[in-house]
Amino acid sequence: MTPMKLETRHKIARFFQYFVLIVVGFVMIYPLLWMIGATFKSNAEIFTGIGFIPTNPTLDGYVAAVTQNYGGDINIWRAFLNTYSYVIPKVIFTVISSVIAAYGFSRFKFKGRDILFSIMISTLFLPQVVLNVPQYLMYNTFGWINSPLYLPLWVPTLFATETYFVYQLVQFMRSIPHDLDEAASIDGCGPVKILYKIICPMLSPSLVACGLFQFMWSCNDFMGPLLYVTTPTKYPMSIFVKLSMDGDAGFNWNRILALSLISIIPQLVVFFCAQDAFIDGIAAGSVKG
Amino acid sequence: MKKAIALALAGVMSVGLLAGCGSTGNSSSASTGTDAATGETSTTSSGAGSLSISWWGGDSRHTAYQNALAAFTEETGIQVDTHYGAWSGWEDQTSAALYSGNAEDVMQVNWNWLSQYSGDGSKFVDLNEYSDIIDLSQFPQSTLDACTVAGKLQALPVSMTGRIFYWNMNTFKEAGIEEVPSTLDDLYAAGEAFKTKLGDDYYPLAMGEYDRMLLMTFYLESTYGKPWVEDNTLQYTVEEIATGIDFIQSLEDNHVIPSLQTMNAAGIDGNNSIDKSEQWINGMYAGIFEWDSSATKYKGSLADPSGFTVGNEIKFGDKANGGFSKVSMGLAITETCQDKEAAAQLINFLLNGDGAGIMGSECGIPNSASGLAAAEAAGAVDELVLEANTKVMQFVDFQLDPTYESNDLKANPGGVYTDVFGGYSYGEYTDSTEAATDLYDGVTEALEDAAKG
Repeated sequence: MTPMKLETRHKIARFFQYFVLIVVGFVMIYPLLWMIGATFKSNAEIFTGIGFIPTNPTLDGYVAAVTQNYGGDINIWRAFLNTYSYVIPKVIFTVISSVIAAYGFSRFKFKGRDILFSIMISTLFLPQVVLNVPQYLMYNTFGWINSPLYLPLWVPTLFATETYFVYQLVQFMRSIPHDLDEAASIDGCGPVKILYKIICPMLSPSLVACGLFQFMWSCNDFMGPLLYVTTPTKYPMSIFVKLSMDGDAGFNWNRILALSLISIIPQLVVFFCAQDAFIDGIAAGSVKG
Repeated sequence: MKKAIALALAGVMSVGLLAGCGSTGNSSSASTGTDAATGETSTTSSGAGSLSISWWGGDSRHTAYQNALAAFTEETGIQVDTHYGAWSGWEDQTSAALYSGNAEDVMQVNWNWLSQYSGDGSKFVDLNEYSDIIDLSQFPQSTLDACTVAGKLQALPVSMTGRIFYWNMNTFKEAGIEEVPSTLDDLYAAGEAFKTKLGDDYYPLAMGEYDRMLLMTFYLESTYGKPWVEDNTLQYTVEEIATGIDFIQSLEDNHVIPSLQTMNAAGIDGNNSIDKSEQWINGMYAGIFEWDSSATKYKGSLADPSGFTVGNEIKFGDKANGGFSKVSMGLAITETCQDKEAAAQLINFLLNGDGAGIMGSECGIPNSASGLAAAEAAGAVDELVLEANTKVMQFVDFQLDPTYESNDLKANPGGVYTDVFGGYSYGEYTDSTEAATDLYDGVTEALEDAAKG
């Protein structure tokens, strides 16, 4: 009788655990569901109801999102290509430059290392807004404003300017035992070879995390392209989505939402592909940090 | 170790994935590059025979500009590069470009930018110098004066705008009112009728903090017959302003407008304008006091737009009509422009010439007489906006001072107007004199800041 009772009690407990999880999960995911539903609604319906199932579903939003081309200047596909043409170099260069900088800080003793490291960490707390004006002036002197190659958007990442990633990688590298480096150097590895043969493979979850963060941040960046890209044919997705959002004339929200939804699909795909490594990466960094 | 290898593999795979995106991205952008090459080769060549222009707006304005510019190129052979976007962030981008000398040759400018960015006349060209190319006689002298800053005619007014009432007559008819309210007593009567016949949730008019400030200015100017600000000095005493605040409060007390608490509870605040509220969409708030150019937006958001009517301006006092119009936007030539004659030609084409017919009322009702004629002939004028604009222009008898819309005053949240009218409606002040003192001090301070530059 007793074991039976225990089992029922477990079942009830299990039921409540799942019940709470499902309810909370639903509340969390509801805005996303609502957004998907809203892409099929008219403006009036979007602002008057909280339900996500549209009463008079329309595909106009999607049709307009895909067909709008501003007199041939820019359309959704072009905006995608523009975005990735600078986001991908940005991600790759960020990862490479941050690893090299972190390697230097964590493995070598050189004069002024601690001071340089503290200076670097202090820039971690500088908000981007503070940097906008001096950076704009600098790129202007270089003649990089409206550069067809998006130079101001990705060149800085060659110099490990993303302090957050450098910091994260330094913390992670500290946890890799020096014995491995020493063993490798006894076997004849130089410092460069140690980095890519020994350290990088061990760091890979963290590298994936850096890459993914940078990928998402860069895709969502609005201010950078706004300041440095002024030719409509070169607009990336973040600008394209906002092009028709005119407060004075009003606009169709379903189109904007459809556009936003389409624009996050590649990010979702990349995220899910790298999900396992990504989550491990964050966890690893957090424990060591 | 096994796990590390697996993770490494996942890492390599995701890098491969990214690289995959990269290569397809590059190859297809190369192919689209060739498609566009025919169109681009001519426009990217800078120097003689090419201009650039920037504007902000929505889809229909982008299209109108593009069509007008195509017609300009056809007529003159001058290529025009474009730069356009939505309003949000636009001013940040533009100010950076202006200060660094990267601004486009011709610019759609907000009126207050003239004093804000070029108060010393350093950024924009004096258009009087090009009066042989641009027909300045098509513009009323008063609007040209409004665009004259630091002794230079820095921009030409594209359109004028002002505030007017719009009513949703469907709701008014439900409340038993057939006529558009034309006097203050009509407003009070409507408030009473809405309350008794339709219920407490129905109001004939809805106004946010800034709307209240504007209506109060209309009221004060009409009652006292003097402008709000003249020669950079506030013309009203604290006692006079207090009567204005009492007036706004009387609207709230007589159920003409909902309190700001009620409106905030309905989700209307600085971020969400009235047109996005259920109350407006479904006709529970049956009136607004808005810019003439906003008519289409508010009409378009109604669930049943059939009752949407342009109202009449209401004369509150007996000294003057009260109220003001302002230059809603202008076209300016930047000092960095290489070919100023061609830029002047473009402005003339867009405002006075055939371009005005293509632009229609996309940037508001044209201020230029010949521009309006061309737009009307082309049938490109929005009737609703024209009706509202005509009513405003015939009624108002004061000018707006450039500091009125300064961010310190107007910002929501945080601006002086917002704090005073929000605070008073929420009962945070003991009496209207206290609120008026805050408003007086805030406006005086903003004017002093503006004088310092």
